[in-house]
Parts: sequence; C-alpha cells; structure tokens
Amino acid sequence: MSKTVQLADAAADFVAEVERASAANLAACLQCAKCTSGCPVAARGDLKPHVVVRLVQLGQRDAVLGCRTIWECTSCQTCATRCPQGVSVAAMNDALRQMSRAAGKVVAETRVPLFNDIFLRTIRRLGRMYEVGLMTSFKLRTRDFFSDADKVPMMLKKGKLSILPPRVAGKGERKQLFERARRAGGAK
Amino acid sequence: MSYLFYPGCSLEGTARDFHLSTMAVAKALGLELPELPGWICCGSTAAHQTDPLLALALPAKNLAAANGETVAVCCAACYSRLKAANHEIARDAKVRRQVADIIGADYDGRTPVRHLLEILARDIGPEKIAAEVKRPLTGLRAVCYYGCLLSRPPEVTNFDDAENPMLMDRVVAACGAEALDWPHKTECCGASYSITDVGIVESLTREILTMAKAVGADCIVTACPLCQLNLDMRQKDVEAKFGESYGLPVFYFTQVLGLALGLEPKSLGLSSLVVDPMALVARL
Repeated sequence: MSKTVQLADAAADFVAEVERASAANLAACLQCAKCTSGCPVAARGDLKPHVVVRLVQLGQRDAVLGCRTIWECTSCQTCATRCPQGVSVAAMNDALRQMSRAAGKVVAETRVPLFNDIFLRTIRRLGRMYEVGLMTSFKLRTRDFFSDADKVPMMLKKGKLSILPPRVAGKGERKQLFERARRAGGAK
Repeated sequence: MSYLFYPGCSLEGTARDFHLSTMAVAKALGLELPELPGWICCGSTAAHQTDPLLALALPAKNLAAANGETVAVCCAACYSRLKAANHEIARDAKVRRQVADIIGADYDGRTPVRHLLEILARDIGPEKIAAEVKRPLTGLRAVCYYGCLLSRPPEVTNFDDAENPMLMDRVVAACGAEALDWPHKTECCGASYSITDVGIVESLTREILTMAKAVGADCIVTACPLCQLNLDMRQKDVEAKFGESYGLPVFYFTQVLGLALGLEPKSLGLSSLVVDPMALVARL
C-alpha cells in the first residue's frame, strides 16, 4: 500500500531550490543506497548520502543544511558515476554547502569553508595558489600551529614549497572577474 | 606533436617534480608543450564548493586564452575542472552567456582538453613509447593509481572506463614494468582534507596502501599531485597510526616513464619523493 505525503509549501520550495542550484535530478532517487555503498566517507558521516537525498525530498532544510556529511564529502564523484537514476549527490552537496553557508547553518566542527575562503582569496589576489601563504593564513585562523609542524621543513628540503608568492599579471582583471561572478549570483 | 600546456598551481609547488619529469619526458619523446601564457588557477575544489559560476569562469578564462588549440594537463584536479567547464558551457547557452559576461569573452566550451596520459596512451601510443625505451623496467611491480577525477564522472571527462581505467597501465607496461591488476585504481585518497581534516586522508590512504601491498606491488604510480602527496608524504604517519609497514615509493607516471627512457633520476625530480625510491630504482 502506498501512502501519499503532502509536503508543506516551504518544504516543496526547498526541494526546488536545491534542484535549481544543483541540477542533481533529486526527484529520480529511488533510495537504492548505491551512492552510500560506494561513498568513501559514508561510514563516518552523521547522515548517509542517500538519506541526505531523502531529507531534501522531504524538505528537511535544517537537518541537511546543518549536517556534518556535506562538509566531509570529498567530491570524488563515485556516487554520481554509479547512480542508476542519474542523480548526482556530489552536485547536490555543492549546492547544500552554499545554502548552508548562506543560511548560517554550517556545522561547527568543519574547517572547510575557512579553507575555501582563504584559497579563493589567494587566487583572486595572486592568480595562482601560494601554498606557504595559504597554510600560514589557515594556521593563524584555526590557531592550530602544531599539526604537521614536521612537514614544513621536510617539504622545503624536498623542494615542494615556494617561499615567494607567484607573480601573474592582471590583478585588476581578476578582481573584476571574481566580482562579476559574485554579482551574477554564484556566491550567496 | 605540440599542445598548449596548462601546468596548474601544484606543478609549481608541491608537485614540482611532476612538472620537471613531464618536461623531461616530453623532450625525450619529441613532444612540444609550450606553456599557456598568463594562466591562472582553475579554482579547484574551493571554487566549485563555494561559487558555481566562478568555478566555470576560472577554467573558461584559461581555455579562452588557448584560442582553440588543444590544451594538455597533468594535474587530475585541473583536468576535471577544465573538462567540467567545457561540459557545462557547451551544452547550456544560458551558462555560456553568464560565463561570457564574467570573463569578458564568449567562450564556446569546445577547446579540447587532454590529460598527458591520454596523449601518451592514445596520441603517441604504447608501441611508440616502447620503441623509445632505453632501460626496460623489468621486474618492477607497479600498481597504477588514477584517483577520482580523471575518470569521474565519465560523461564529463570521457577519459577511460570509469571503474577500471587502463591508460596508465598501458604506459607503465610499455616501460617494461608489470602493471598489476588491483581493485583500488579509482578509490579516493581524501584530497584536500589533508589540510582540513587529516583523519579522512589517513583512513582512506591506509586502505589504498594496504591493498597495494596486498597485491604485491613494490611501488604506486600516480597521476595527480594531491594523490601523490597524500600517499607519499603521509605514508609514515599512516604506518605509525595504524601499526602498518608499507615502504612503498609513490611515483608520478612521468617519473617511471622517464626512468625507462633512460633519463637521470635528478632530471626527474626523484629526490622530491618522501619515501625514498632509490633502492628500488637501483635494483632495476
């Protein structure tokens, strides 16, 4: 016996919003859990990937925007590759991360948004990644000075780090590009 | 043969040995790789997690600058982002217009993007590579580790079989080494969680290293700067944390190919590897 569940308007709006932002084809999900079976981080997450899809379908905005799983997804694309229904959990997670940030719902434990912001600020300014600068900023902001302290001298010795930042022309143009992308509605 | 080369940021930093060995191998094979002038970062994971249009605009900016010439890439993450931008822009006129407004040029999403493995295994071909081998790597038992982003998602990258890619295996076999069959070719290493949540990387690389050891490999061959760094630089930490012992050198495929072409270890940047490969190299 099937049972019809009528979603409240707010819930239906949420589904549509995630779908618009991700084109992840979420309505097609059959809950077969193949995404979860192949997911490298499903075992540690607070919600399994197929459960996140179901919660989105049911309009559970707070539960999904505030979960840890979306910040532990490695974007490995295994879910999207194997889904028999052409659903992309990886694309859904990108949209959920953006919505989670816009709604101020980011789970406290994750350092991913901070890392992403420093990364993007670095390439806006310099055009290319500057690993020493990125790591310094990240460590200053997280006040985590001791993890991997042994790695820096080793990486320097192995020639894996450039002390000096990269120099690429076109700083003004880059700033414009980032600004236009933001205004076009990418960054919420 | 000539391609416009997009090195990407890692090849100027943590993966400088990938860059060095790529150039050395290209020269030995008569492959020209002039650098795309003024290239900028592809935006990587940070962009696609944060801002979908920026994640397309950054690759598009680079690809538009190539003026339709085929772009060659070594980094799997750059490859994935350039391919994703092409995929989205070529199939959606609205996205194409939005990106054009952002980068100030109408890019059509049709500049061909090739990973160096595609160039070696498809455009040059294993037979031609085998004919250039000066020092066959007989007795080397390698597992080829492709990671996530070369083969997935297949409709975007169109690289090779998504679950069992063979391009790197063919190149390694052409070098005279044995490319072992193994199930972890495309498992995830945890990528940039190396910085934000290292526990993820340690548990995932442990599985890859353990499987490589279990099938009897004496080295891992990679095609991605983050995969290489995670498997190589974190190997000792993983051994200590889980009480394992691997001792597996983690090469870039260009370093393995370079050795087979008779190039000096120094010109291939082998001294940048953290797990010392020299005992293994001396044995060959």
